[in-house]
Amino acid sequence: MRRTRSPRLGGYGALAAIGLVAALALRRPELAIVAAPFALVLAGGTALARDPGVELELTLATDRTVELAEVEAELIVSTTRAIDRLELLLDLPPGIETVDGADALAVRLRAGEERVIPLRLRATRWGVYEVGAVEARARDPFRLVVWETRFARVQTLKAYPRVDFVSRTVPPFETQANTGSEVARVKGDGIEYADIRDYVPGDRVRAINWRASARRGDLVVNERHPERNTDVVLFVDSFTDVRGEGRSTLDDAVRATATLASRYLERRDRVGLIAFGGILRWLRPGMGHWQRVMLIETLLETGIEPTYTWREVSSIPARILPPKALVFAITPLVDSRFVTAVEDLCGRGFDLVVLEVDPVGFVEPGRSEVAGLAYRLWILERETLRARLEGLGVGVARWGDGVSLEAALEEVRTYRRNARLARV
Amino acid sequence: MPLARAEEDIVLEAGLRVAVLALLALVAALVLEWPSLVPVPLVLLGGLYGVQLAVDDASLDSGAALFAAGALVTAELAYWSLEERERVQAEPGDGFRRLAFAALLAIGALVVAGLMLALVDRVGAGGLAVDLVGAAAAAAALIAVVWAARSRDART
Repeated sequence: MRRTRSPRLGGYGALAAIGLVAALALRRPELAIVAAPFALVLAGGTALARDPGVELELTLATDRTVELAEVEAELIVSTTRAIDRLELLLDLPPGIETVDGADALAVRLRAGEERVIPLRLRATRWGVYEVGAVEARARDPFRLVVWETRFARVQTLKAYPRVDFVSRTVPPFETQANTGSEVARVKGDGIEYADIRDYVPGDRVRAINWRASARRGDLVVNERHPERNTDVVLFVDSFTDVRGEGRSTLDDAVRATATLASRYLERRDRVGLIAFGGILRWLRPGMGHWQRVMLIETLLETGIEPTYTWREVSSIPARILPPKALVFAITPLVDSRFVTAVEDLCGRGFDLVVLEVDPVGFVEPGRSEVAGLAYRLWILERETLRARLEGLGVGVARWGDGVSLEAALEEVRTYRRNARLARV
Repeated sequence: MPLARAEEDIVLEAGLRVAVLALLALVAALVLEWPSLVPVPLVLLGGLYGVQLAVDDASLDSGAALFAAGALVTAELAYWSLEERERVQAEPGDGFRRLAFAALLAIGALVVAGLMLALVDRVGAGGLAVDLVGAAAAAAALIAVVWAARSRDART
């Protein structure tokens, strides 16, 4: 451990020296007597001060958690010599905090003692964190000497984004061939009633609608909609991040992506991911629990990588965007490169939905007249952009302050119902 | 103590000014969180005490033991106050333990200073030889402290 002097050492040394010199100069023994206790504390304190030989380790009960969930941790401290006061400062990365808010604590240890200090940590934001750096500062009983060291045996803690409750998702226009939970628009074997038609040889007997047949005097059979799965590609904008007080559009976008992915995967749909930004990340559509884990692990790596290069949809591998897939663009609609990509996908005939992580709540209008005008123009520009996308048949769900994800999705569901009717 | 003993108004006024200055220095040290300033008020008060003793040319002052204990406790409490500024969650009873330690230091200072007073009173010697011995003791104490501090640094 690194030994340093506390301010007491210099202060007491100065007082003792000045007292002794003044005693000699003024020829008064009283001043030497006043200086004597300071000199004795100095001599005794420095003679007794020894390196305490502290060993320290921070262990986490798990290496995976969900943001805002508590993680149990243990701080194991041991020492070879008695320590009057051992101060421990948890050097937690931004995004990790202790549940009770105290990241510094002091303990007193006997010689050879090992103390296990339970801690409760919490990730305030999703991400990958390196946890375990602890700064230790030991003081001798006279507090003249300080030993400091830093223990940096770090552990990785992955905090998954929290998943909000969404009762219904946005259904795609087209379904795939595999069995799933989405009622297909086509007719075939299924549960949902679709229509009746005349019996043709080869139809199954149990498909005959006997009541309708009796009314018509001829055999008619029920037609049904099959339940099929869908392909959903979550297209996340990682070009821009608009940050406010403790929140950011990218954080919210990742939470929304995790929520949508979980909901679609529960329905046995195949879900893929494209993080479209400075670094292009993707995950092929797949289904099941493992796909959810892979998807969230990929999401954790998502961050803003500054780039000035123009990126096009053509840079996305074709197998990541399967035909008839529902593409869910999750974006603050700030970066023109992403908006162009959305329009490009729309032009290529993809079934597209835009979940707009509204950045307006993060931006304060300026106080000056010009700044206020610029703010209003920006709002107007966003309205125009939204109208342009809706004109292309793209449903835009605004998700921001005071609007739940459920409500935003319901808005886009309603739009798509009407848009579908209008298209017919 | 020096103020209580002042017999002339001019001495009392000068003493009061120094005392106020010392108090201001202590408050500044605590408010500005500047530990280097902590010895200043004690030096001022000690200087006032020493000057008064020298001017009055009084016999050996038995109150020196109290002054020594008071000065040590003041310094100890000031440094403790500065240490407590850091947001550190201490174990229950840590404050009481530290307070008891400060009280023990005060008692120890009182005993040591009392013994030294008794020794000085008993010996009652003076002259150049005693001055030389005193100077040598002061120098030796300082050298010992500096040496102890440096040797620990080198070992670590």
